[in-house]
Amino acid sequence: MSKFSLARLRDGWGTQTRVIHALMIRELITRFGRENIGFLWIMVEPLLFAGIVATLWRVSKGPEEHGISVIAFVISGYIPITLFRHGISRSQAVFTANGSLLYHRQIKIIDFLLSRFIIEFLGSSMAYIFIASILIVFDTFPIPSDIGLFMSGFLLYSIFSFSVCLVIAPLSEISETVEKFVPVTTYIMIPFSGLFYMLSWVHPTLREYMLFSPFINGMEMMRKGLWGDQITAYYNPWNPIIFSMIFAVFGLALCRHVRRTLTIE
Amino acid sequence: MIICKDLCKSYKHGLKSKRVLDNVNFTVEPGDRIALLGRNGAGKSTLIKLIGGVEMPTSGKVIRNMTLSWPLGFAGGFQGSLTGYDNARFIARIYQRKYSDIRAFIEEFTELGNQLKMPVKTYSSGMRARLAFGLSLAIEFDCYLIDEVIMVGDQNFNRKCHHELLERRQSRSMILASHSTELIQQVCNRAILVHNGQATEYDDVNQAVHDYSNL
Repeated sequence: MSKFSLARLRDGWGTQTRVIHALMIRELITRFGRENIGFLWIMVEPLLFAGIVATLWRVSKGPEEHGISVIAFVISGYIPITLFRHGISRSQAVFTANGSLLYHRQIKIIDFLLSRFIIEFLGSSMAYIFIASILIVFDTFPIPSDIGLFMSGFLLYSIFSFSVCLVIAPLSEISETVEKFVPVTTYIMIPFSGLFYMLSWVHPTLREYMLFSPFINGMEMMRKGLWGDQITAYYNPWNPIIFSMIFAVFGLALCRHVRRTLTIE
Repeated sequence: MIICKDLCKSYKHGLKSKRVLDNVNFTVEPGDRIALLGRNGAGKSTLIKLIGGVEMPTSGKVIRNMTLSWPLGFAGGFQGSLTGYDNARFIARIYQRKYSDIRAFIEEFTELGNQLKMPVKTYSSGMRARLAFGLSLAIEFDCYLIDEVIMVGDQNFNRKCHHELLERRQSRSMILASHSTELIQQVCNRAILVHNGQATEYDDVNQAVHDYSNL
């Protein structure tokens, strides 16, 4: 019996990876086409965003703040938040937009979300590696002191972002009002995402509350991984893990509910 | 075998709810060619979508013990902004077939030529039907779900469909929703008449067509 279900699990895994692969290629072609640099466009947007904001900060604040490079600091904050914001905006109304693909039974609605998020994730990672490599050459970006910690932070941040997408996607199908509140909410949460500061710069009482935010925990991990002993970081990796699990369970249940009532033309 | 068990489907709009299908039961045996008859809005397409797993029943279930095509119709199954070839590649990937085989088959079957390099949204409904049929025939299913679409083609297409589907794949099953009583009498061996949410099974197609004409 257990062997039987293991074989089924393997089949299911095979089908799902195939479907997600096909969906990603399809998405890349529809979004970026085959002309000029093609799918490399996925890293252009995060690059531009982080690059321009970093330049603005560099001009207005000078080369260093709290002893670390302003450009590197801004980039380390902006690339993850672009991933989060793009992930969210791409997951709205994704089920109805791709409805015609549900004619093929092996495609599940979660595959739409996964394929889109993986594309955003790859785009951000590529942009990050690209810009960091260039800046390291010019000595404006630190060589990561603990690359493992940095990557764990980025991964936790991404997983939490994805778990939020799992909730937003079905909610946006249930009610159109949700869609109208999302841009404002993602904007408001920027200050609470750890983008502009380290927790060691804020008042200890405030810090305790801030540590409830999964984004801040992830961000502190990434920055500690980058700068190491140059900075003090406060984080608890269990925070993003637990929050992600809660959001994922809630989101998957909502997805299941929405799939049952989804009307497809 | 495909078994529909106590299928119910309601659509909700705001506070209103409309029951489209109410307790539908039937079985499709291998080799069955079932006609779905019913007036516009009776629920034929809904039933096809439920059988094909495109939409989920409100209650009841569909048990599929043979491979079943996706519902072939005007909408669905394609991405309009992609070309015919891109869609073929996509289908080949998700159904785990060799793209070169599928490509060769649809080029021969659809006769769309260079149009296959154009986005599907620029196709006429006849051309879409050709592509949809071409792709699903290239993959080979035990049972085909066909929603109206067979009628939009020109004579050449009808002849091809007839040859591929009814002669070469005689042992396959088929569920065909259509208003063309002539076609149904010619092709089907059983019929289901959908009316007021109820589905009535007929072993005699002529009787079903007679009842349908008198609705």
